[in-house]
Amino acid sequence: MFGLYFGDYLLEKNKITGSQLEDVITQQHTIRAKLGLIAVAEKLLTSKQANELNELQKLKDSRFGDLAIEKGYLLKEEVNYLLNLQGNSYLKYVQALTEKNIMTMDQIESALEEFKSENGFSDTELDALKSGDIDRIIPVFVDINIPLVGEYITLVIRNIIRFINNNIKLKKIYTVKEYTFPSIAYQQLVGNHNLLVCFAGEDEALLTIASPFAKEDFERMDEDAFDSICEFINCSNGLYASKLSTEDIHIDMTPPKFDQEKTLSSNGDIYVVPIVIDGKQSDLLVVVDHKVEIN
Amino acid sequence: MAKILIVDDSKTSRKILKNILVENGHTVIGEATNGEEAVCKYNELQPDITTMDITMPVMDGLEALKKIMDIDKNAKVVMVTAAGQKTKMLDAVKYGAVEFLTKPFEAEQIIEIIERVNG
Repeated sequence: MFGLYFGDYLLEKNKITGSQLEDVITQQHTIRAKLGLIAVAEKLLTSKQANELNELQKLKDSRFGDLAIEKGYLLKEEVNYLLNLQGNSYLKYVQALTEKNIMTMDQIESALEEFKSENGFSDTELDALKSGDIDRIIPVFVDINIPLVGEYITLVIRNIIRFINNNIKLKKIYTVKEYTFPSIAYQQLVGNHNLLVCFAGEDEALLTIASPFAKEDFERMDEDAFDSICEFINCSNGLYASKLSTEDIHIDMTPPKFDQEKTLSSNGDIYVVPIVIDGKQSDLLVVVDHKVEIN
Repeated sequence: MAKILIVDDSKTSRKILKNILVENGHTVIGEATNGEEAVCKYNELQPDITTMDITMPVMDGLEALKKIMDIDKNAKVVMVTAAGQKTKMLDAVKYGAVEFLTKPFEAEQIIEIIERVNG
């Protein structure tokens, strides 16, 4: 998942080409990150020390970690920690970049600093992105403490990972009072709280949700494709209603609907979370306890 | 193996459920998109089991369940609910539903319940 964020940044800044990005993504899935590279990325070894150990490894039939301990560069606990990181997607991404001779480790480190600063990410947020753990990534983009909204969005994103695509890119949440859409699928929840939840966007973006959920290759957003997104929203909302009922909050679902080429407006905040799937952006919209109109 | 009538307003939902049932040897003898159609098809097809979505336009699943139970007190109707419809589930039990399937569908759960209901 980290590759989606950092890879897009590198592409945007012309630090890599589109075909190099594709190469790295392909390679990333087939490799296991090398211990030396992880140790440098984690700042437990310098590049010089890692190179020295790599050279030594060519002469001795020993594992990298054992040699590092022998030389006094790493503790056994540190080697175990690094071994645990070997499946990490960020480290595999970095290794793919270096192995393909697209960027050196130093260039990656410097690009990473720029990426962090330009996006205003803190160290903790950058670590969350590197971890690939969706539960740590969501709070980087969504204030999960917004009453009802934060919890709802978290649940929907987890469901996207579970049922739609496990390689998604989120963008920062924002609010509007009006939202004009080419296409929208939505459902109203009524009861102790009233919610409107929608997926909106261009047809080709919505197809990245409709097709995998129905396991059918839709070519356009026809009635069946909308039905698929509506059903995905319905299932997510059911799980959300179930969760709320444990807190003695009761809401009921109305039949989902869809519409095209209109504007959604509200007298309260419409929360918008952009979600990029297969390079195409759909928006998840949530309105809580405010009047909404679609005209 | 059971002859099953699937009732759901969502085509996607009907398709996912049908695939799971057929892959496991059951026969889907009909589909209905709302409660009113469900009652007609129940009369016409006499299924062993009916899976009935709750939230549907025209006539919802609870109303259709009541009508089917009026026609055939031995009808085996399995309600399909998006999780979280607790009150409606209790109503469904009162009206004679034999079991519940929850969305999102999990193949193992569906087959276990259908086979148990089919006896």
